Amino acid sequence: MESASIAAGAPTAEHDHHGPPEANQSSRVEAQFLGMLLFIISEIMLFGAFFTAYFFIRVVADDGWFPMDGNELPKLIAGVNTAILISSSFTMHWALEGARNENRAALRTGMLTTLLLGATFLSVQINEYVHVGFAPADSAQGTIFYGLTGLHGAHVFIGLTLLTFATIRAYRGHFTPKEHRGVEVPGIYWHFVDAMWIVVYTTIYIL
Amino acid sequence: MLNPLRSEQEAFRFLIYVAAVFLVIIAVVLVARAF
Repeated sequence: MESASIAAGAPTAEHDHHGPPEANQSSRVEAQFLGMLLFIISEIMLFGAFFTAYFFIRVVADDGWFPMDGNELPKLIAGVNTAILISSSFTMHWALEGARNENRAALRTGMLTTLLLGATFLSVQINEYVHVGFAPADSAQGTIFYGLTGLHGAHVFIGLTLLTFATIRAYRGHFTPKEHRGVEVPGIYWHFVDAMWIVVYTTIYIL
Repeated sequence: MLNPLRSEQEAFRFLIYVAAVFLVIIAVVLVARAF
């Protein structure tokens, strides 16, 4: 009875706080950096699992890699698509430089161009699936081709979603030279997706 | 030291390095196959 009246009469800092307890934060590692680090590490492990399957099939499959059963991978179209994706990283970088230098026209044009180039890459890849001439269930090679390129395509789709939000915010004037994390983080992700495509393209189409 | 997770600028530089390294690998493979 007495303790209840004390608690009601003298509120402490603990009682003033509403909602869940504040997250513990290390003084050495910034939370955003740690989050991105863990995310990228998990992504590398995910792609690593797919690459392991790819190299396993390359080593053990009796019928080798493409061309097989009269199907050839469209190296040239995929090469042009690679150039489109890499150029989107340049426009992304240009957009962020625009945000840093308070050049809103560069920021908006850069974000929109990046978005369109990324969408072009994805549509070309979907068109490639339509015309490539084999299905994932046809062979182990086909499975890993669709698996790896599809996994990457899913990442491009996520990147495009992030870029869409960032582009809308850029047109609404949300970013300043000091506060542009909403462009910076999708930018880091987009460069990661592009770097991963270079590895995927080289291993799947060239080697 | 280059840390691609620290900023977009460093991530962009990292991408350029990856592109350069893989361009060399592709060139070596294509040359090796030609001979």
